[in-house]
Amino acid sequence: MKKEKRGRVLSKRGQVAIYVMVALVIIAGVIVIYFLYPDVVTGIIGGKETPQTFLKSEIEPSVKDSIEVLSKQGGYENPEGYIMYKGNRVKYLCYTSKYYEQCQVQQPMIRAKFEDELKNMIQLDVETAVDELIRTYEKRGYSVSSAANPTTNVEISSGKINVRIKAPMTFSKETTETFDEFNIEIKSKMYDLLMIATSIIDFESTYGDSETSLYIQYYPDLRIRKIKLGDGSTVYTVEDVITKESFMFASRSLVWPAGYGIYG
Amino acid sequence: MIYLIGFVSAGETVSMSDVTVCCEKTNSGLYCQDVREEDCSPDANALPTACASTSFCKPGFCFDSVEGTCLDNVPQMVCNNEDGTWKSEMPAQCELGCCVLGDQASFVTLTRCKRLSSMFGLETNYNKNLKDELQCVMSARADEKGACVYVANPADAQPTCKFVTRSECESESSTSAGEEIKEKESSENESVLEEALGGEEKYGGTLLSPSDAEFHAGLLCSAEELGTDCGMTKETICLAGHEEVYFADTCGNPANIYDASKVNDKRYWSEIIDKAESCNPDASNGGSQTCGNCNYILGAVCRESSSTTGRATYGDNVCADLGCEDGKGEEQMHGESWCVSPGADKVGSKYYRHSCVNNEVLSEPCAEFRNEICIENTISTSEGDFTQAACRVNRWQDCTAQKTSEDCTNNDRRDCIWLDGIEYVLMGAAMNGSTIDKNSLGALREQVKAAGGLKEIPRGACVPEHPPGLEFYGETATSTATTEGTATTAKTGDDSLGVCGQANAVCPVKYEKGLIGGEWECVEHCECLPGGELEQKRVQLCKSMGDCGPKTNYIGVSGSGKGYEVKEVENEKKKD
Repeated sequence: MKKEKRGRVLSKRGQVAIYVMVALVIIAGVIVIYFLYPDVVTGIIGGKETPQTFLKSEIEPSVKDSIEVLSKQGGYENPEGYIMYKGNRVKYLCYTSKYYEQCQVQQPMIRAKFEDELKNMIQLDVETAVDELIRTYEKRGYSVSSAANPTTNVEISSGKINVRIKAPMTFSKETTETFDEFNIEIKSKMYDLLMIATSIIDFESTYGDSETSLYIQYYPDLRIRKIKLGDGSTVYTVEDVITKESFMFASRSLVWPAGYGIYG
Repeated sequence: MIYLIGFVSAGETVSMSDVTVCCEKTNSGLYCQDVREEDCSPDANALPTACASTSFCKPGFCFDSVEGTCLDNVPQMVCNNEDGTWKSEMPAQCELGCCVLGDQASFVTLTRCKRLSSMFGLETNYNKNLKDELQCVMSARADEKGACVYVANPADAQPTCKFVTRSECESESSTSAGEEIKEKESSENESVLEEALGGEEKYGGTLLSPSDAEFHAGLLCSAEELGTDCGMTKETICLAGHEEVYFADTCGNPANIYDASKVNDKRYWSEIIDKAESCNPDASNGGSQTCGNCNYILGAVCRESSSTTGRATYGDNVCADLGCEDGKGEEQMHGESWCVSPGADKVGSKYYRHSCVNNEVLSEPCAEFRNEICIENTISTSEGDFTQAACRVNRWQDCTAQKTSEDCTNNDRRDCIWLDGIEYVLMGAAMNGSTIDKNSLGALREQVKAAGGLKEIPRGACVPEHPPGLEFYGETATSTATTEGTATTAKTGDDSLGVCGQANAVCPVKYEKGLIGGEWECVEHCECLPGGELEQKRVQLCKSMGDCGPKTNYIGVSGSGKGYEVKEVENEKKKD
């Protein structure tokens, strides 16, 4: 009896092992086919991919990566006039070299600068993505004609970041379709964060400091970290607690020297 | 070294004694700074005057005509380079007024109001005569809301509904109806390319005129008598700009505040119920499973359910408790702040302001060198005490210049305390480094004489209430750096000797010796001798001046030396 039971257990285990192996072979096969013939897989799983969604899937990761970099460096890809804090080059958006004086604003239009930097950072990826779009559709049997290099425009507004890619092109197969531009919309709270940063800079340049708890009253989802450093600099991190997006920048304003500051 | 671990400053700094030029752009890339000439970028303008006196770096107001924001203290060239409008005096565009945005308000410029209104799809409602922010916020009243019933698709007999204000119903019903139809039809489209290309042109939908929409004030879209396709659900939503959890109807419209006991109550799904008449109106309702009447002031707001926020009986949203637990295990409300001063007044220590924000305790250090102190105050509320703290400047600088207790303890002007019974005037000037300056001592005698004798001079010392930190260590953190962020440090001196030296004092001890020999014996001010009763008082005085005297640092380690010295110097000896 015991032997029989053991045999059954073994046969069940063997069956499971076979199922697992078959499943693995199928998955591996799909992966291999996907890499060799991506269009076939897309067709099989029935994805309704449009040029718009294609570009979005190609460009969105690049946009998000760029935002990540910019948001830790005060909105600059390669900042000048920054403080090195926790491995980040945090741009001074307001700075004074002197003691007892309010800072001079270094970047008044923070949103516009952020847009500009983001546009420059993703431009290359946009061009690559557009090339990839053309190649992909040509493989699918479309005849694609396009104009010169695509131009990109980034607009940050409340709740979203819009990336407009002006890339006139015509797709022809059974019918002919013409595109003028593609609009990629990414949900983001960055606009609010940038406007709060502007408000903090206003406080710093006018009064030499800011009272961060004032913002709590109006922005329930906001968290502001304010760290004062030994040289009188202040590093701010403005964060949305829901989306976890943040924006970091520095200021040096109304600094008091150690002692009487005679030698300082 | 400790100084440089956390950060490296790449900006130029100057001391009070440096000769500076106005530099258009510094080596590290900062604009319009008064720096040493060698810190100015070779390609930039540099004038031997203050930046405020130059044309290109003159600070003024910079107006952003896109966002409608206005910043003060912006150098002219910085503003112009960014396509802003610069004025030395505040321009009219920067004047603030009250911008009403639906049921909310914002105290902003007219341009900003237009920008915000367009962003939220509202008509601009701006009152430039309202000059008080609080009044502005109070003036924003919710427009009358109700059910806006319309027929989205003429082929479909059943009307649908949107929960909006009367004005929105009248002005926007046509647009919203059109959009809805557009969405429906385009989703049915089979052609991938057509969907992307032709959607907007082909699917305009049937636009309804405003007269086709009927507004029912005070009613919810789920009211049965309206006969719309919007019905009751067990779903909830959070609304932007609102703190409460709301029920949502089958059309996605908000209904009344979530109340688990009313989930099947038809009356509750028909008429708008005021917040004050909803469940637990006087409590925060943080973490409540059954009531969505969150009160933000009391520390709760609508959030998506999670393991941290808790879960409601119905729906995916809950009143999240935003409170925190401080280091002592005490509950703190959202928005509360309090002072923490570990190792106060020890070398290297500083004050901290802790605050509870969104369920997390944030630690905000006050300025280094105890140049700022933390102050706090508590007010009593119906929900208990509410504490607010702030970092503010430590006004210690002129303490030692005060000669009377009254001036010293004038808290409106300075943060000092009067140490009674510290005998003899502070005679820092009588010391020159580690030796007594005999000339100064002579001058001191004259001062004592002019005051009418030693007894007429106030017996006490005015010292900082919060002793400041001093940058006494070898190298200062003053740094000059390149754009690559490489910091170089340069010793520029420190004034710790000047601060601590003010506690130095000279005590004229008088010795006598008999005419026919014998030893010198102390006869006057003998308490000043080493080990005498005055020594500890003077040590206390020394420590009160700042990072002076026998102190420990913020991690409890004592200094390498004793921290003070009592010297005996033979001044004048009468011959035997």
